[in-house]
Amino acid sequence: MVNAVLKGLLAHKLRLFLTAIAVVLGVAFVAGTFVLTDTINRTFNTLFTEISAGTDVTVRAESGFGTDANLDVSRATIPASLLAAVRAVPGVEAADGTVSGYAQFIDEQGKAVATTGAPTLGFNWTQPGLSPLTLRSGREPQRNGEVVVDAVTAREHDFALGDRIRILFRGPTEEFTVVGITGFGEADNLAGATLAIFEEATAQRVFGKMGRFDSIEAKAEEGVSTVELRDRIVTVVPPGVEVITSKQVADESAKAVSQALGFLNTALLVFGGIALFVGGFIILNTFSILVAQRTRELALLRALGASRRQVMATVIAEAFAVGVFASVVGIGLGILVAIGLQSLLSSFGLDLPASGAVLKPRTFIASVIVGVGVTVLSSIAPARRASRIAPMAALRGGAEEHGGSLRRRSLAGAVVTAAGGGVLLFGLFSGAISLVGLGAALVFVGVALLSPLAAVPMARAIGAPFPRIAGMSGKLGRQNAMRNPRRTAATSAALTVGLGLVATVSVLAASIKSSAAEIVDQYLAADFIVSTPNFLPSISIDLAPRLAAQPELAAVSGLQTGQWRSNGQGRSIYGADPATVSQVLKFDVTAGDAGALSRGEILVDENELRNKDLEIGGMLPMTFAQRGDTQLRIGGTFAKNQLLGNYLVSTATFDSFFADRLDFVVLAKAREGVPPAAARAAVERVTDDFPNVEVRDQAEFKQQQEDQVNQILGLITALLLLSIIIALFGIVNTLALSIFERTRELGLLRAVGMSRGQVRSMIRGESVIIAVMGALLGLAVGVLFGYAVVNALADEGIGEVVIPGGQLLTYVVLAGIAGVIAAVFPARRAARLDVLAAIAHE
Amino acid sequence: MIATTEPAARAVDVTKVYGQGDAAVRALDGISVEFAPGQFSAIMGPSGSGKSTLMHCMAGLDTITSGQVHVGAVELSTLNDKELTRLRRDQVGFIFQSYNLVPTLTAAENITLPMDIAGRSPDREWVDRLIDTVGLRSRLTHRPTELSGGQQQRVAAARALASRPSIVFADEPTGNLDSRSGAEILEFLRMSARDFDQTVVMVTHDPVAASYAERVVFLADGRIVDELAAPTAERVLDRMKGLGG
Repeated sequence: MVNAVLKGLLAHKLRLFLTAIAVVLGVAFVAGTFVLTDTINRTFNTLFTEISAGTDVTVRAESGFGTDANLDVSRATIPASLLAAVRAVPGVEAADGTVSGYAQFIDEQGKAVATTGAPTLGFNWTQPGLSPLTLRSGREPQRNGEVVVDAVTAREHDFALGDRIRILFRGPTEEFTVVGITGFGEADNLAGATLAIFEEATAQRVFGKMGRFDSIEAKAEEGVSTVELRDRIVTVVPPGVEVITSKQVADESAKAVSQALGFLNTALLVFGGIALFVGGFIILNTFSILVAQRTRELALLRALGASRRQVMATVIAEAFAVGVFASVVGIGLGILVAIGLQSLLSSFGLDLPASGAVLKPRTFIASVIVGVGVTVLSSIAPARRASRIAPMAALRGGAEEHGGSLRRRSLAGAVVTAAGGGVLLFGLFSGAISLVGLGAALVFVGVALLSPLAAVPMARAIGAPFPRIAGMSGKLGRQNAMRNPRRTAATSAALTVGLGLVATVSVLAASIKSSAAEIVDQYLAADFIVSTPNFLPSISIDLAPRLAAQPELAAVSGLQTGQWRSNGQGRSIYGADPATVSQVLKFDVTAGDAGALSRGEILVDENELRNKDLEIGGMLPMTFAQRGDTQLRIGGTFAKNQLLGNYLVSTATFDSFFADRLDFVVLAKAREGVPPAAARAAVERVTDDFPNVEVRDQAEFKQQQEDQVNQILGLITALLLLSIIIALFGIVNTLALSIFERTRELGLLRAVGMSRGQVRSMIRGESVIIAVMGALLGLAVGVLFGYAVVNALADEGIGEVVIPGGQLLTYVVLAGIAGVIAAVFPARRAARLDVLAAIAHE
Repeated sequence: MIATTEPAARAVDVTKVYGQGDAAVRALDGISVEFAPGQFSAIMGPSGSGKSTLMHCMAGLDTITSGQVHVGAVELSTLNDKELTRLRRDQVGFIFQSYNLVPTLTAAENITLPMDIAGRSPDREWVDRLIDTVGLRSRLTHRPTELSGGQQQRVAAARALASRPSIVFADEPTGNLDSRSGAEILEFLRMSARDFDQTVVMVTHDPVAASYAERVVFLADGRIVDELAAPTAERVLDRMKGLGG
């Protein structure tokens, strides 16, 4: 039996390929996701191990957030005097203090050297052996005014030894001489970050950490174990300072990265899952058609004594073989997908370091399980249908599917759709993401079950203009799309999924864009918004005061944001200048008094106050990473302002919690009567000294918000494209199988005078109808999903649902074009049929 | 003008060889035959005699190895696929043994199919006359699956004549029909030649069917071995016996 299955598969290589490809692509995406995240993980692990390679013990301030601190949590500094005490500990061979902070190069053209997400780091040169830095040329920095640059930055921006370069800091910009070029261990830089290395005192000065260190790294003498050394050093440090092994530091960092990557992994796997879901539709459809076409063969098996179970087993065995084949090919492709994903993410601004390809056994096993699983599960329904074929069918002709009545199927479809909708809504409003996914999947299955009902009228409507455009071929194409509603519906259902999700995201994006513009009007009073391209907190604290000194400007405030915790839960806090905040923002203190900010009290959003059961005048307990536990008096409430979050303090108060704060945005309002151009010139006069920032007026700011939403929309659409491509392969597959089934009919048409071009046009027509039908159903589902999602997100500031009509229409047109493309191969096959052989075809 | 005396279709020393070298099979071995305008001819012969191959080659469905085939004034070997397709569409009518109709089209649409493919409007009057002749007036909106085998074949016959082709080829048109339905089709073909001046060439192995023709050409081993004018079923059968078929 197995032999027969394999022989059958190999006899139809093309069919095997077309069927398998639906699963291959999905598996490749899943495998690629694992390969990518594993590779990035390993890269980081290697990196962290390298960073700590020269040191055994790290001394640093405890985090207020305790042990589950994230990577991005900053700690308080420790006094530099501690270094002497550590060095004095017996068994310490060497120890050095490290201090680091924000330092961004300015290139020859006066532009800030930006990364795509990696930090722009500055730190001090430590003793060789303790440091992972490896000088490539020049020497280490020895005095103020000298800098060592990482090899990648030096190469990309032509920084050579002896060059004078400017560097941006938290404070004023300064000029340095390049005295050395360094690598980071074997690598040329640290995971995409730019590195500026200074001598110790300079580093402490430019990072505003005079007489302080972020940590002290110590190396043990021969014969002294790491743990021993740690335990000895612990005895010399004051409270609030922790001593841990450097390996533990590396592990913590690696764990934090792997947690962050876990999110990326899950997000990408969702798209892989969608692709496999779509692939499942295609497998189901393909096997349904194959079973129908082999009715006589299978009936003959039954007539010859094969049991139902055996017939079912042959179909499932074939699916199993296809699944194994597809999974193996998919894993191979996955490595390519990993590379593609990496460049896709980086083209959307998410640069991740990855070198080599890590293929873990887990990747292999997971890919085979999902690949084979999806294929076999999808073949069960057709296999059951095959097992019900009566032996008598061997004697009858007719290759077209029949199956049960549409009524039962439609009833099931309605129930599944309704249940799916319910689960989806429940998931959305209760915030259970996995239920949202399950609900959406159920809705798509339900719609697929229902769609045969719609297939005939929809095909008639979509194909209505075809007879006029392409005459008889158009008419025949339209009727071919209508002759087997189940097949047309099942084929287009695969496309419905992809386009449904694209439409959902489009509706969501359009709604966010419209709300974002409204938020600007509603909450922003400033004329100019100064920020880095990605709103990173890396604006020098010098910028806001210098702007404020410009006579053309009436009010200026920098805004800061940071994390705090309340009973272990992460929250955001904002800082602003109390004197000007109400001029640059539409900021409305609704209870208590505005002077509270200046007194060091905290203002809370009025809704948040109510939701969290807080009271004006009460004390709010807060935990900060650097400062630890503290509490602030609630001085009043303010009306909802999307730009300020829920908790607001003065910049001065903010500074007491975050030692080296940087502004993420600076807002400026022009003085009354100053022409906009003059005001802008005044702003730019200052920002010219800070090449990492950009100046925008309100209109430009809105545009930027829109661009950002568009970028995310683009990324998601690009990821969904895979499902759409799989669906198009489904159309190719169905058409190829239908053409095989209609060989004699095609022969007849060719015999009575249909040209090859007309045959192609006929197949094209059918393909376009299937594609457009899938798109229209997808858009209908997507718009409904969009409504649900936007309403569920009403609290996040998305006001009204916006349906991007033009965009959706474009999708339909694109689907039509995709239909034409999907038809190319089947149409060519159909047109090339040997007329005589076709007429004689059994 | 010579056109009036020119045959509707003509084969001159036609050979058709399948395969190469030792495996080569001469399906047609130097056949020359003419079909006069308005004549109803039958081609008979045992299976493997080459009768279907001859028909396919003369209808532009298959290519010949050597010789010439003319339909009207056109020599087929000079035509490419596009021109052959157009020739079949405009100059040739077909009736096959089975699967003659496009299942998605109604009877009426099937009848006018070649003209619709050509994007020409059919001669309504002529088509109406054909429909009445084959007696399908009441079944026009039905699809093939809703028609009996005989009715389907009558639709096919009407289609074959609808575009007023130079010649109609019928390949075992009664092979799948009961004798009564078969007789109706044969009667229609005979009448087409007699009343409409339609050239008809029918391939058959059924002596009764052949007896409807005005002339029977006998094939064996790719050659024309005999010919019979004004045949009856008995005489055809006698000749066939002589061929060992």
